[in-house]
Amino acid sequence: MLKPQLSVFLSALAVSIALAAAPAIAQTAGKPITTFKVKSVIGLESVQHNTKGKATVSKDGLNFAGDTAKGNLPISEIQDVQTGADSQRAVGGTLGTLTMLAPYGSGRFLSLFRQKIDTLTIAYRDGSGGLHGAIFTLPHGQADLLKAQLVAAGAKASVITADTGTPAGSKEAKKQ
Amino acid sequence: MRTVRCCMKSLSSVAISLLGAGSLALGGAASVRAATNPNPLHASAIQIQQIQADEVKLPAEFQMSMYENVIEQVTKANRFQHVYRDGDHDAAAAPDLVTLHCTVTGFKQGSARERQVTTVAGETAITVHLEFTDKNGQKLIANDVQGKVRFLGENLRATYDFGKKVGAVVRQDFAAPPKGKK
Repeated sequence: MLKPQLSVFLSALAVSIALAAAPAIAQTAGKPITTFKVKSVIGLESVQHNTKGKATVSKDGLNFAGDTAKGNLPISEIQDVQTGADSQRAVGGTLGTLTMLAPYGSGRFLSLFRQKIDTLTIAYRDGSGGLHGAIFTLPHGQADLLKAQLVAAGAKASVITADTGTPAGSKEAKKQ
Repeated sequence: MRTVRCCMKSLSSVAISLLGAGSLALGGAASVRAATNPNPLHASAIQIQQIQADEVKLPAEFQMSMYENVIEQVTKANRFQHVYRDGDHDAAAAPDLVTLHCTVTGFKQGSARERQVTTVAGETAITVHLEFTDKNGQKLIANDVQGKVRFLGENLRATYDFGKKVGAVVRQDFAAPPKGKK
């Protein structure tokens, strides 16, 4: 009776360890990142909520490419870019839900394992002036890099981080 | 063995019928709640202003997620022919435009880890004051709404809950547009 539950528990544990190690491996490469693995949480037009994909910054703007949907945010429309920090379950999705059924509270034990993530919030206005907000999540430490690339391409940002080259005490940075 | 199977079958059928009755009762309650306003307001368009959080420190992702969820749920409520975003120039042309102002009055950022481990602690809650005004700025409806995530889900899910509740307020207080005008 316990065998399937035990196997779920063990596989969940293995996945959580692998996920926890992934960002560390990615950061050791040392090369400048040009393609970011992101999740479009909400707000990107023609892209469904929580779609995973890749984001790149070009002269045209921020390009998002998921498996089934693509989206583009022109640099000229971007009003503000802000970064934040959050965390998510190391074992998520269907497997994460299934671990709740694991015996002896091991599902709850697995909930203790969370990985840090960054959030990137982009406020932009469409052709008729309507405000939109797009929220992305990225692996820990990458939101500032993506923001820096967007700012370098000409996007506006109310809070400029040190990475983007503007002094922290500037008028714009003091806004927040 | 046969009797045990029979018992199991009857037990499961009782459980299913109880569940069905419960859901019907809940559905009935929801529909009664939705139809409590005897004089619903009529408007063809609504403009949703950006969420204001001057007195409360609210992370940018929460502010934007709330705004997007409100737009989505108000659109889904199907009470207006047009749902305009903040700053949309086309909204000025709407004759009976209603504007929705949302001001965050309280924010408690809980912990998803605490929620998942303890079930009872770590709630995230956002309290927002809603104001619907007409084109002259006169107040039509004022309401306080709270978006919460109590048991399952990440913190941002509170913004989805908030959007759903705003959608319910709109459904309750505004009349559906006449058929053929959608």
